[in-house]
Amino acid sequence: MTAALCVDNLRKRLGSVQAVDGLSLVVEAGQLLALLGPNGAGKTTTIRCIMGRLRPDSGSVELLGKRLRGRSERRMLGFVPQEIGLYADLTTRENLTAFGRFHGLAGRELVRRVEWALVWTGLEDRATKLVGSFSGGMKRRVNIACGVLHSPKVLLLDEPTVGVDPQSRERIFEMIAELQSEGTAIVLTTHQLEEAEKRCERIVIVDHGKVVASGSLHDLLVATVGLEQTARITLDEPIAPHASFSTNGDPRVLSARMTSVAAELPPLLARVEKSGGDIRDVRVHAPNLQDVFLSLTGRELRE
Amino acid sequence: MITQVIKIGWLRLWHGRFELLLVFVVPLVFFTIFALIFDKQLGSGKTKQIDAAVVDLDQSPVSQSFVKHLVDDAAIRRYAIEDNEAVGYDQLDAARDTVLRGDATVAVVIPEAWAKSLVSGKPAKVWLLADASDPIGPGVVEALVQKLTADSLAAQLPATEIADAPKQLPLVVETIDVLGQNKTSPVVSMYAAGIAVMFLLFSATGHAGSLIEERENQTLERLLCSQLGMGQLLVGKWAFLAILGVVQIVAMFAWAQLVFGVRVSDHLAGFAAMTAVTAAAAASLALVMATACRSRAQLNAVSVIAILTMSALGGSMVPRYLMSETMQNVGKLTFNAWAIDGYQKLFWRNLPVSAITTELAVLGVAAVVMLIAARVLARRWEVE
Repeated sequence: MTAALCVDNLRKRLGSVQAVDGLSLVVEAGQLLALLGPNGAGKTTTIRCIMGRLRPDSGSVELLGKRLRGRSERRMLGFVPQEIGLYADLTTRENLTAFGRFHGLAGRELVRRVEWALVWTGLEDRATKLVGSFSGGMKRRVNIACGVLHSPKVLLLDEPTVGVDPQSRERIFEMIAELQSEGTAIVLTTHQLEEAEKRCERIVIVDHGKVVASGSLHDLLVATVGLEQTARITLDEPIAPHASFSTNGDPRVLSARMTSVAAELPPLLARVEKSGGDIRDVRVHAPNLQDVFLSLTGRELRE
Repeated sequence: MITQVIKIGWLRLWHGRFELLLVFVVPLVFFTIFALIFDKQLGSGKTKQIDAAVVDLDQSPVSQSFVKHLVDDAAIRRYAIEDNEAVGYDQLDAARDTVLRGDATVAVVIPEAWAKSLVSGKPAKVWLLADASDPIGPGVVEALVQKLTADSLAAQLPATEIADAPKQLPLVVETIDVLGQNKTSPVVSMYAAGIAVMFLLFSATGHAGSLIEERENQTLERLLCSQLGMGQLLVGKWAFLAILGVVQIVAMFAWAQLVFGVRVSDHLAGFAAMTAVTAAAAASLALVMATACRSRAQLNAVSVIAILTMSALGGSMVPRYLMSETMQNVGKLTFNAWAIDGYQKLFWRNLPVSAITTELAVLGVAAVVMLIAARVLARRWEVE
């Protein structure tokens, strides 16, 4: 099966910085791929290279098996910027019509797609309202709609949920899921690790312009921090050390890694109590993308 | 608390370089420009000379001496009448045409048998064919002719008769306004053009600033990721600004015709041509400024300085005939001067479209060159 988007060994130097350094990634049709990385990792430069806004020093970008060179070959690409790149003093319908036209739509097809977008975003009743008067979540929805009017095969979404409330975020991901179900390949850059964990089938972590890890969350966990969960037991007073747990700094906090919490935690608690430990709190932490990210980049990912 | 509010105000001003420029530098720049316009000693070197054509129908030694004294005066620069072969009243027609075209401010006509009239003690009147759009030049020439006539009269009459002559010589000059009869004041059409052009520039740069806003909020990024190219974007914006400019100028002159009687409808072809090139050049200039600036604040500062400077030097604020010759020449570097001159030729001098080809060409070429410059400047926002 031909990949919807294939980026191969992409390199781009910006001034004295090697912003992208041999980056490769593949996205299949209908797949939602999260592109993660700390600030300055090369995500935006990669997206700009894919969109043709930056000329790569080397490497290639293929869309549906065809190498991209000119502007016309990028018709099947869609891009939604992180900022609200809309005309605030135009109405929803006027914005959608304008961007539809810029993406090459005309006539009945343009009208049909604008109507579709109004329904898709749930903003039919706001079609004639100025976008500048909208809430952050509504603006985000129009922002995304303006990037998909031309039914792109690959959609690049740059932080589509920044600054929106949980309800709007959910609505945006419903919209994204709808596009996925229609076969659109989506590359999502985000700082929301939980979002990436929950929504994306594939995750690509980028640092210093290179892919440092890629795969499903399970693959990444196995390859980095492992699947074991960590139990943290907080005591009133320290107890004598034991091979079944370790202390990290504070002698009153014991931690132990376990494959099966149900099987291993009760005997551990019993042993602690038997050793005279007075248990104040027990917490179990399942490894997540944050741990993977920290392990790979040595940095936290923050907005 | 209050001192902190004051401190914040000063700090914000200090950090806003362009605002600082507007607050402190622009007033000084404008003071300097107006000082140069009105202070005859500074920058200008000397007062503007008055272009005067001279027709001597008398051709006597006395009249020739009169002409010599007239053109030797520092205030006068003789304008050579183009039709050298014209004689008598044909020469008079040629002189009138130089005034109608605006080549000379005034034509001094010495009538036949003028010298004889001096000898008889009843001097015939010297005619001044004047362009009333210049309120200063004809008055200066009139006073000079009056003085020189008195001198000529004194040279012709015996000493006894001079003693008997009345102390005050009666008016021996008759000024004929060859342009202004039945017309509204020339200042009205001049200011209609001047104000229209100045506000055209302000509105054009204001709207062209949308390009910077689009870049700042990533709309430009997404536009350039669509099928729209930078060239198409610029031409689209240019066309919008030019059409807006045409509407602005039409509104201004329609008002000038309705309320002040400027006869726009008599020169529709010339008006259409001048308006098209003026609006096109203003649109191009606005786009050059927008593409050259890095931020909206910078564009605001640069455009205010540029437009007010051009308007001051180009005659939108002060008529250029009030300026020294040097300043008038400097004014020709501005967009406003060419536009105002073109409209004045149409509405004040009643000249045909063929008479404004230079203005049309200058503004038309400027529009094309500046649009190309804007396109070149915008390249930095394209593919890197």
